Parts: sequence; C-alpha cells; structure tokens
Amino acid sequence: MAEQWPSYVDAGQPNDPVFVGVGEIPSGRYPDRNFIGDLTKVAILALKDAGMAPKDVDTILLIPNLHGFADQADLVFSRMVEELGLNRHAKASLMIHSGGSTSDNAVRSAAGLITAGHAKTVLVLHCERWGSANLAEMVTALSKNGIPQEWEQVTGLQFNAVGGLITQRYMHDTGSTAEEMASVCVTLRKWARLNPNAMFKDKDLTVEQILASKMISDPLHALECPPLADGAVAFVMTSAENARKRGLTESVRIAGSGGCVSHYSIGQETNLSVLGWPLAAERAYAQSGWGPEDADLAQVYDSYAAVTTIAMEGLGLCPKGEGARWFAAGNGDPGGKLPVNTNGGLLSAGHTGVGGGTALLVEGVRQLLHRAEQPRQVEGCRRAIIGGTGGTYMDAQVLLLERVEG
Amino acid sequence: MANSPIIQGFRDGLAAGDLLLQKCNSCQQLNMYPRYACPHCQSDDLGWQKAAGTGTLMSVTVLRAGGPEGFEQEIPYALGIVKLDEGVQLLGRMAPDEDGEWASYACDQRVTFQPARDKTYANFGHAE
Repeated sequence: MAEQWPSYVDAGQPNDPVFVGVGEIPSGRYPDRNFIGDLTKVAILALKDAGMAPKDVDTILLIPNLHGFADQADLVFSRMVEELGLNRHAKASLMIHSGGSTSDNAVRSAAGLITAGHAKTVLVLHCERWGSANLAEMVTALSKNGIPQEWEQVTGLQFNAVGGLITQRYMHDTGSTAEEMASVCVTLRKWARLNPNAMFKDKDLTVEQILASKMISDPLHALECPPLADGAVAFVMTSAENARKRGLTESVRIAGSGGCVSHYSIGQETNLSVLGWPLAAERAYAQSGWGPEDADLAQVYDSYAAVTTIAMEGLGLCPKGEGARWFAAGNGDPGGKLPVNTNGGLLSAGHTGVGGGTALLVEGVRQLLHRAEQPRQVEGCRRAIIGGTGGTYMDAQVLLLERVEG
Repeated sequence: MANSPIIQGFRDGLAAGDLLLQKCNSCQQLNMYPRYACPHCQSDDLGWQKAAGTGTLMSVTVLRAGGPEGFEQEIPYALGIVKLDEGVQLLGRMAPDEDGEWASYACDQRVTFQPARDKTYANFGHAE
C-alpha cells in the first residue's frame, strides 16, 4: 500500500502548472554547432512554439551537460539570461541535476515554483555535445559519474558494463532471448525513422544486424549500446491562468508524479531486474487516480533495452517479465498497441547525456500538443506516461501528463 | 581521494587476503559499502568483521571494449555483483576460467572470495 501523498493541484485551478511549448534541434554528430548557440536556438524555438517572447520568461532552469566540466561550472543558466536579453528582468536562473531523470525533477521543480507563486513562466533548457566530444574522454567520464570512486571505480566499471549487468539479470529472470532484447532496439529505430530530429532517421536496423555486431559488455552488442550524440531541447511551463490569458487553447498538465530512489551504486541494487519502478508507479498512480490503461503513449528512458523493459513492466504497461517479448510482438511499434518512445529514444534518436530523458519528455509533450510530424503523431492522444531514471538507474521517476483544451 | 579510515581499513583487509565488512559496534548491523556513519543507527562507532567470503552471483558481465582510463590494457575483464551470505552485497571482479574467458559464470551461482592482495577491489571465483 503506497503511503499517502498530498493531492496534486486540481485541473482548472489558476495555479495549475502547464507545458505550453517545446523546442528541439536534430541530434547526432554536429561538430560545427556550439553549446551556447544551440541552447539559444532551442530556447527561442520553445518560446515561439508557446507563442511567447523571451520577456515572458522570469525563471530559467538549466539541465546540465556532461560533455565537460567547464561548461557545467560556468553558471550557464545565468549566461542564458544575457543571451536572451533578460538582464534585470529575470527573477532566477539555476540548474537542477539528477542525471538522466533530471527532466522529471526539473518539471517538478518548475511546477512547484509556478504553483507556489515563485515563478510565472519557466524556461527549461538543455544542450549536450557528447557526439562531438573526445570519445575516450567521454568513456572515462562515464566511468566516474554516478559510480562510487572508492568502491566501484577501482574495478573498471563503466556504463556499458552497468547496462550489461542489468541486462544479464533481466534475461536470467525473464527468460528473454537475445533476439527479443534486440527487438526493443528495432522498435525504437522504426520510430526514429519517422523523426526528422533523430540521429538515425535515415538508417534501418534489424535484429540480425544487432546480433552480428561486436560484443561490448556481455550480453550487450555494440548496436544495443546508446550512441553518444549532440543535441538540444527546451520547454516552457507557465500557470493555467497565464496560458488562458494569453489565449493558448491547448496545453499539457501534470496529473501526478511518483518516484523512488533505490540506490546510488549499482552494486547496492538489491533487485536488478525490477529497480524502483513498481514503487514509483504506485505513487504516481495513487496521486493521479490513473492506471496504466489510461496511457495513449509512453516515453520511457531507454539507454539499454532492459532499462526500458524493466520500466515498462514496473509501470504496468506490459505483463511482468514479458517486456522484451511485448516489444518483439510489435506492441510498441508505430501503429502498435501502445506507442513507446515515438522520437526513437536514446538508442535511436541519440543519447544526449542528461538530455536523453529530456528529449523523451519533450516528445511526450509534443505528442499531447498534437504537434508531432505525420505519420509520427499518435492520433488524438490525450495522456502520456513519462518514465525517467538517472545514474546507474538509481531512481525511477514517473510523470503522468494529460492534454488540456480551451 | 585522500584515504579515510573506512577506505584504508577495507583495503588493508584485501591486502591481508581478507574481505572485511563494516560492522556497527553500536547496533551490530553490517554495512556495505562501508559508511562514515551507520545508516541503521547513525553511530560512528564502526569496526570490521571478516566475511565468510561465500555468496550468490546476482549478475555478471564481461567488459570487452571501452575500458576507462587506466583500465585500457586490462580489457577484457568480468565484473560481478555478489550478495554475500551475511546479507550485504558488493561489486567485484570475477576470476577467468582456464581458457581466459568467463563462459562458466551465470546468475545465481555460488561464488567465493578469492584473495588478490594487490587489488583494491574484491575478487571472486566459483565456490568449490
């Protein structure tokens, strides 16, 4: 039985926080693009999508990059105040960080600021330069962030090995085959082929290709490991009252959220094939009154196939232990039972560091605003489940989003 | 990282051929990884208990590419999460089979600590 959480703001309340616009530029390898330039670009795109100008924003919330410490420590959130011409106008600028689940916590933070009256309109933005960064440096960075220095870094652990450990246990517990695991990646590629911003929009992928690719960290093949990408996304949140005043006739509200931090060190996770998802889902459904059957689509963190199938099972979106087979049967495909990761996810749209989850969230909001390109748009969708996780899958974060009209 | 008593104590144990588990002298609970205060009772009166060394392999992977800086030459190597019979768990390395591979390992197998005195991590192999 889930513990009681406070009721969330009711729909229609003036201080109900809503998403009103999203912005994104293509993910992939773009050595000629630049960090601040891309942040500026997506900020302006998101504001335009919301029918707003920079002056409509009072709070800037930055989702951190992982490509380099200098850009991280440089108070870039305040630099964006300058880049957008908001000197003296902006009330606050800050950064939120929880690794891959940062987007979920950024939404919670922005929503809380809006609901409590600390902010009117919040611009959340992210840019990552992983695709153009030095690969060896990034591999080393990925063996340090989220891995305890004194206990696990000394073993030579890095993120593909973390993915390998989770996948191994998941396959053992569920009896999923290598072909079934690979099929998750194939589903994501089918979606990426429909997304003009996806890194692999032009390239098909088959189970055979995946299984023929080099073994990286057993049982993970090279084509099952996330491609490091450059990318940038942004979104705008404001109050329902402000959205109405501005004449916006469609927006996306938060019906509820739930979360569970189950570990920091992967060596301390006591249930590698389940993680924190059942608890996070129970908390989110309890707050919103939703069940898994209410979702028209799901956007679930997918740095490895097993990360997604574990989340899908914990969220109740497919039968327990059947996640990989559920994907293999085409249930998550375009035109399938429940569209999953319609942007192609981290595995096929590109892993943009902390922003991979943000891109999944932005796609969910875009779908609910009915602004995705055809034929990717899920027709008439009204409700989306967003699932995020950070570090070594240390947490499970759930946002339940619904479309608001009028 | 400057060594702290909990890091040094654990590593001294490994160098002596022992796998040490942190034990709270106040509530008697075992803590892994070692902590600066007991997560069960917040006491900082912490000592050590020698582990029996036996446990269950919760998961295992063989890293074959992308060794982090300093580990490039060691590739391939196997990492495993072991739940010790004492109830606590940790990540360590798995000793290779005779052919230099790790095909004999699978989840839920019984494994045991194998001293590797020059390492700062626990090394495990198949239980007899």
